[in-house]
Amino acid sequence: MRLELGKINITDVQFGDLTKVENGTLYVNKQELIDLILEDDHIKSVEIELARPGEEVRITPVKDVIEPRVKVEGPGGIFPGVMNKVTTVGSGRTHVLKGAAVVTCGRIVGFQEGIIDMTGPGAEYTPFSKLNNVCIVIEPVEGLKQHEYEAAARMAGLKAANFIGQAGKDVQPDEVETYETKPLLEQVAEYPELPKVGYVYMLQTQGLLHDTYVYGVDAKRIVPTILYPTEVMDGAILSGNCVSACDKNTTYHHLNNPIIEDLYKRHGKDINFVGVIITNENVYLADKERSSNWTAKLTKYLGLDGAIISQEGFGNPDTDLIMNCKKIETEGIKTVIVTDEYAGRDGASQSLADADPKADAVVTGGNANEVIVLPPMKKVIGTLDYVDKIAGGFDGSLRPDGSIEAEIQVITGATNELGFNKMSATTF
Amino acid sequence: MVKEIERAGIPVVHVCTVVPISLTVGANRIVPAIAIPHPLGNPQLDEKEEKKLRRKLVEKALKALQTEVDGQTVFED
Repeated sequence: MRLELGKINITDVQFGDLTKVENGTLYVNKQELIDLILEDDHIKSVEIELARPGEEVRITPVKDVIEPRVKVEGPGGIFPGVMNKVTTVGSGRTHVLKGAAVVTCGRIVGFQEGIIDMTGPGAEYTPFSKLNNVCIVIEPVEGLKQHEYEAAARMAGLKAANFIGQAGKDVQPDEVETYETKPLLEQVAEYPELPKVGYVYMLQTQGLLHDTYVYGVDAKRIVPTILYPTEVMDGAILSGNCVSACDKNTTYHHLNNPIIEDLYKRHGKDINFVGVIITNENVYLADKERSSNWTAKLTKYLGLDGAIISQEGFGNPDTDLIMNCKKIETEGIKTVIVTDEYAGRDGASQSLADADPKADAVVTGGNANEVIVLPPMKKVIGTLDYVDKIAGGFDGSLRPDGSIEAEIQVITGATNELGFNKMSATTF
Repeated sequence: MVKEIERAGIPVVHVCTVVPISLTVGANRIVPAIAIPHPLGNPQLDEKEEKKLRRKLVEKALKALQTEVDGQTVFED
């Protein structure tokens, strides 16, 4: 499967009469976007706000961040099974509005939504402070159940990204990158001398607003399976997560998965990247056993020499991570796990809830319990009403002057377990 | 908590869903529970069935508490 990704660099976002891209500026017709989102009768009202890098703006509570993309050649459309037909995607050509994003926010759905600061110390911890954000501030109708609100907010973000992505359809990209993974036997034969490496991609599926969707299927109902890496770039995997902001994979993270990017960079040079195995993180022990048995089985079936395993979230998924690692290692396949840490505010506690001597190659995205003070911002998109309640916040987190003292857990993407961010640790 | 109470000389049964974590932290008597969001019940069952399930779990835990163990033991059934 071969995908060309045409990157259109976006350096500014403005409201305009037409939704279009011109000289690197994304123009958005506000009313059209509002009308589109209000088609859903679960949503009472919606406001559209813009947030650019460096502005004194705080966005919260953030639910999802989505990159606008559009399919220009090849089968299917972006976000298959949800926004477009459930066609297998990942081939042909896709255009990306690089530097732009849709951010869904507004009244809280769960208790684990995040903060994006566009400037100041908090901005350093989130990759989304560097983007030109179209923020969708949603107000649900009265009496809407939490899970219905989550679905409505999720769909509003996807619709907006799908709509805005169309603006890139006929624009000449600034850069075109090509990614290709061949059918397994051909791929293995292409670089017979290189070690075969796969990626075990763990998806958050604990339920109760902790969900991920694959081609529209709730991933807690899947058994581990194989994807071409390029399918992910066309939106095969979507976030439905209200888990801790710092280490959930937003839809933006999935679309731009840096592990996939890096494996492709080394593909044909020092490794042979043969594919992605997706798996879940369920709440029944039998599910954890079955899924980790299957990832081990599939890594062996693919003939891998090594596997990178990434986790999403923390707590009991630490067990899924360790089970995957242990069982894959037992098959004689080398593993590296990518995770983050909850080591306490002083960093002295055990970082993961589970451990095993076989997990001897670990990449961390940082300690989510580190405390940070975020200065007040001139403008708030959304509301500060929930700062004390979101995971990582505490009673008194929001100070009278509008500054916030909280764990970096509250910042969207701060300790991302795909390694999207800058933080890590080295052992000497 | 399991380890500290045992250190004081009182036997403990750890009823928990994620048995591997319980094994890692060093519990000696482990009774597997239902699921992480509802370890001691199952909201999908009707009230009567659920009560049966819950009673069974408590009885199993009490039985485990009275059982001599030689190292870490998971009480599967």
